[in-house]
Amino acid sequence: MNPVREQIERLTRRYFFGRTATGIGTVALASLLDDRVMGGLTAEPSVGGVLGRPQIRATAKRVIYLSMNGAPSQLETFDYKPKLTELFDSDLPDSVRMGQRITTMTSGQKRLPIAPSVFKFGRHGQGGAWVSELLPHTAKIVDDLAILRSVNTDAINHDPACTFVFTGAQQPGRPSMGAWVSYGLGSLNGNLPTFVVLHSTWSSKRDAQAVFSRLWGSGFLPSKYQGVALRSSGDPVLYLSNPPGVDSDSRRRMLDALAELNQKELATVGDPEINTRIAQYEMAYRMQTSVPELTNLSTEPKHILDMYGPDVHIPGTVASNCLLARRLAERDVRFIQIFQRGWDHHGNLPTDMRLQCRDIDQPCAALVKDLKQRGMLDDTLVIWGGEFGRTVYCQGNLTREDYGRDHHPRCFSMWMAGGGVKPGIVYGETDDFSYNIVRDPVHVHDLNATVLHCLGINHERLTYRFQGRDFRLTDVHGNVVRGLLA
Amino acid sequence: MPSPPIRRFPIAVVLAACLALTGSFPAVAGATRHINYSRDIRPILSNSCYKCHGPDEHERKAGLRLDTKAGAIGKLESGEAAITPGSSVKSAIFQRLTSHDPDVKMPPPESGKSVSAEQIGLIKEWIDQGAEFHPHWSFVPPRHFPASPIKTPTAASNPIDRFIISRLEDEGLQPSPTSDKTTLVRRVTLDLTGLPPTIGEVDAFLADTSPNAYEKLVDRLLASPQYGEQMTRDWLDAARYGDTHGLHLDNERSIWPYRDWLIRSFNSNEPFDQFAVEQLAGDLLPNATIDQRVATGFSRCNITTGEGGAIDEEFYVRYAVDRVQTTGTVFLGLTLGCCVCHDHKFDPITQKDFYRLFGYFGSLTEQPMDRNAFLPPPAIRTGPAADSGKIDRLKGDVAAADSAIRKALKAFRYQEPVVDARIVTTGSGAAAPRPDELRSRSLKAWEASVAKDKSSLPRNVARALEIPSQKRSSRQANVVRDYFVEHVYAGSRSIFDPLHAKRDAARRRLDEAEQDSPSTLVMQDTPKMRDIFVLVRGAYDRKGEKVLPGVPAAIAPALRADAPLNRLSLARWIVDARNPLTARVIVNRFWQHYFGTGIVKTAEDFGAQGEWPTHPELLDWLATELEESGWNVKRIQRLIVTSATYRQSSHVSAALAQRDPENRLLARGPRFRMDAEMVRDTALAVSGLLVTNLGGKSVKPYQPSGLWEAIGYSGSNTVHFVQDKGDALYRRSLYTFWKRTSPPPSLTTFDAPSREECVVRRGRTNTPLQALVLMNDEQYVEAARQLAERMMREGGKTVADRIALGFRLATSRQPTQEEIRVFQTLYTAQSAAYARNRQAAAKLLGVGESPHDPKWDPCELAAWTMVANVMLNLDETVTKG
Repeated sequence: MNPVREQIERLTRRYFFGRTATGIGTVALASLLDDRVMGGLTAEPSVGGVLGRPQIRATAKRVIYLSMNGAPSQLETFDYKPKLTELFDSDLPDSVRMGQRITTMTSGQKRLPIAPSVFKFGRHGQGGAWVSELLPHTAKIVDDLAILRSVNTDAINHDPACTFVFTGAQQPGRPSMGAWVSYGLGSLNGNLPTFVVLHSTWSSKRDAQAVFSRLWGSGFLPSKYQGVALRSSGDPVLYLSNPPGVDSDSRRRMLDALAELNQKELATVGDPEINTRIAQYEMAYRMQTSVPELTNLSTEPKHILDMYGPDVHIPGTVASNCLLARRLAERDVRFIQIFQRGWDHHGNLPTDMRLQCRDIDQPCAALVKDLKQRGMLDDTLVIWGGEFGRTVYCQGNLTREDYGRDHHPRCFSMWMAGGGVKPGIVYGETDDFSYNIVRDPVHVHDLNATVLHCLGINHERLTYRFQGRDFRLTDVHGNVVRGLLA
Repeated sequence: MPSPPIRRFPIAVVLAACLALTGSFPAVAGATRHINYSRDIRPILSNSCYKCHGPDEHERKAGLRLDTKAGAIGKLESGEAAITPGSSVKSAIFQRLTSHDPDVKMPPPESGKSVSAEQIGLIKEWIDQGAEFHPHWSFVPPRHFPASPIKTPTAASNPIDRFIISRLEDEGLQPSPTSDKTTLVRRVTLDLTGLPPTIGEVDAFLADTSPNAYEKLVDRLLASPQYGEQMTRDWLDAARYGDTHGLHLDNERSIWPYRDWLIRSFNSNEPFDQFAVEQLAGDLLPNATIDQRVATGFSRCNITTGEGGAIDEEFYVRYAVDRVQTTGTVFLGLTLGCCVCHDHKFDPITQKDFYRLFGYFGSLTEQPMDRNAFLPPPAIRTGPAADSGKIDRLKGDVAAADSAIRKALKAFRYQEPVVDARIVTTGSGAAAPRPDELRSRSLKAWEASVAKDKSSLPRNVARALEIPSQKRSSRQANVVRDYFVEHVYAGSRSIFDPLHAKRDAARRRLDEAEQDSPSTLVMQDTPKMRDIFVLVRGAYDRKGEKVLPGVPAAIAPALRADAPLNRLSLARWIVDARNPLTARVIVNRFWQHYFGTGIVKTAEDFGAQGEWPTHPELLDWLATELEESGWNVKRIQRLIVTSATYRQSSHVSAALAQRDPENRLLARGPRFRMDAEMVRDTALAVSGLLVTNLGGKSVKPYQPSGLWEAIGYSGSNTVHFVQDKGDALYRRSLYTFWKRTSPPPSLTTFDAPSREECVVRRGRTNTPLQALVLMNDEQYVEAARQLAERMMREGGKTVADRIALGFRLATSRQPTQEEIRVFQTLYTAQSAAYARNRQAAAKLLGVGESPHDPKWDPCELAAWTMVANVMLNLDETVTKG
């Protein structure tokens, strides 16, 4: 942590408690976590961010990141390539491939035959954006989306690529994007974590690529910035529920006794850290109420539930998690990250794509619509995408109806909506093979720089000194993509 | 050189300047002094200027180099001199720093760097005082400073104190009085063993009135086996130890014998130089023992992958880079990672230096793709059976038994009985035998019986059965027939049952021997060295200049020219007396263990960007003591914990909290929340559940269900968490199985790192999630119940007595009357609540796998459990104070 800031926080906290040390627990605690207490340090009513007033005008207060883990094919979703139909089973021209590295899964293949998409595309919205038939609901909201067709990354395998997208480095050890945002901007809600992660079920084959806690970890930042996974079964937050046989009254009595004893200790030894601990127990107690209230979807009216589709009633589905994400956003949780696995389609792609797209299409579109109808899309940035793209050439057996695609880091498609992103545009273009980018490339670092920009953060200025170096999410790279901004 | 004019600096200005820079602590307050280049100036230049005017010649602008005197005072391309010693007015740097013209101003506005007015003032003074340059402090070998003279020598217990008190006197501060004996025995027991003292141990110390009672206590603790466990715990973070590969599938792997080697080494007080050499190059020592080879697991703890499609060369490079970085951080306190892509921007290490170090780790027999294997080679067997060939013999027995079964299968002629097809497939009909009888007599009947559920069958058999029998290949048909004959057919039981029994017995003997002789990952070089290249911008496929393995000469002189080009030379260079870093880095981490913060706060970085030591002479004194004592580790621990500094009371007065909130000056004793493992181990110890066995395979205590499934690759062998039973639930936390993509949540919540990479300084946060763990985690609720039983069983008859016992177990001290009253009130309320709801009591007592004694009334025990729950949640219980 920035030492000056650390110092100020300490002093402020001590000052605050110095004046209230005579009062017991709850009153003092409630106000410690009240936004206003430390409001003097930041322009926004947030607690604990290291950045002072926003460095740039923020257009987004929070982010919902829909992470499609395993890498969905751009050729089956947003990157329409009609010319490929005639090139079925012909070899990818060397003039296109230009000797680029390919993974060892297909580098041994005798041929790299072109696999046109089996799916139909149509033009949608006022801008006439091409969207595949797999995403009928998404197609209806394209006027709210900025579709990016020219995202590219450095990594060619899942583990490093996911790590790269979310931490800006392929090697583990760096903080994740949500941790950076929490660290920079702090919390807007004293009763919930600043950074929340939701894992989703999926419908395609059971073998799905893994995710890793480092994707929402805090790296070398203090661990309080790491994402908290909200789970769909068991405790929504780990260890949230009282054990069997302990009701809320018992817990309250236990906490009152604990606070009284800890206060006595504070009076004896004078360590201000004790006061923080008392406050954290009270926050834990409040979370025991606020989190179940948050995850209880039964209070949603039927027409809202219907928007998200039938899966919304099954906890852990993308539908259920998208609705939960909206509820988190309403409660001003800063960074919400939804993971869905099952997008790694080396074979049997058409079948599995159908299943996966059905999982996500209606809920993701509903999320955007729902935010919009509440006026929240204006300051909520929604991002959809995977960790890389897929190859135009087939992996394994190729037929018109069935094929697989290998990893392709050189171009892939994503979309963004709200939070200051220009709606209704299609950004970037790839060649006829969706192999190389021909216009407006957006590197992962550029994308991340743009996300931070929308949050009012200059990505070059949100740094943390570790091992003698000032680290940042975008390493030493990244340019804000102005063309994406409204 | 002209004698520097002496100026007085207001402390606030210096403090602000230093804090704003690197968080370094000012040396002397208020005293007259001259500017110290290393402490006051270099951090400013390093932070704001070196990026373009530092050691990295590729990035250097305007030909100006500010990290050396020659570079700073030499003529620039413009003809001016950046620095003219003695005259800030004639120094271009000063003009540029104070300019308002954005084209002239330094640092340029777009760099995002800025130098404050106070800092510019310091630079001006420094130039006017003659602009003295010194090499960076940590690259100068430590000197054995005599302990400082102090005004109150009686306050000192050993030389450490003289350094600390001397600084306090300069600051106008007083050391705190010695802690009371109870606090002391608790503090030192926690620090040296990671566990709280037992009541007996506290009482024994209180009763011992001899003048050396404390020293005796320390010696007992240093000799206890738990000392080695406690020291190992820190080292596991540094070595990035884990029980899984860490990448992609994140399968299990076996390297815990290395962890056990660490425990043994600390307990036997292996000299640190030997400890280091064995970990870095034990395999290359002449006639290396098995233990010395096990030690090299240090460099095999890095994360590895077996991900399909990954490119070998890329990961070969990553592993070597990780090994260099880890070695650099752990032993040298250097941030070598910067040099993967370019020359270091702050420290005198070039990219070429980096790849020369890389060369030491560049010729291993390891395959970059680990195949997600349990033992990706090179691996060796350890333990009693390792040398004797016993394992091979037992493996031979198993193979022979297997082959006998195969032979019998081949010889066996199976004839399908003639039965009415209708009966066979439906199992009905008057003349039919009972279905279970039939299925062991007829292949067809058996096939029909397993048609619905093949989950208990081997995969290849199940797969063959999926295919209709007439369409099966002859191989698939044989698979089905053989399985039936071997395992099901009644007519062959007399042949196969004895063969199976024989094979199972052989396997059991092998398993037992293997458990006694676990295998572990080690280092091994290829006979022929690989060519090593500088990699342009760190890219694995962009080879630059070819280099040979070697050490960075700017840090310490290389060993003899004829030293072999292998890790052993590197290891010997690291512990060579001329290496200025190693001993300092190590004693600093020991210091951090006891005081929470190192003398150099940035324990991982002793370079120019690291923090200036609060007590440089003390650090040097400790470093030289360590070396001159023959790298005697226990001796250094003993020196530290027997110092008066360590024994001070940790009470924080308002004035001191204001003056030195982080306790860097040590005018009081250390007080901070214990590390994750200590928090859990304390609960286990206090409740009486702790199982103190040393070493062994990692264990899987309680964790909430579904965590591994939520993230794991379905083909991973760690995708399903299977909790252990019995003793394994109550082992010390350093034995908890470490899955690196989903590490144990109750430990990471308390800042345990993921172990994906080397960490030598943990964070120490205070969060609501920690409160939830201590209140609700099954492990802690069970511990509370056990503590409750203990209070009832051992605490006597009265409520107050029982409370006193529990409180003492948790905090080591007697509760005050007021504290007892608070617990009594809670107990009364909870007793009443559970009397009204006996079911709730029963439920609470059902948490955790250990049984509870039925002789206690469940309502009473539940009420006491809630009392104990408070005790385990007390700030004092989780704090070393």
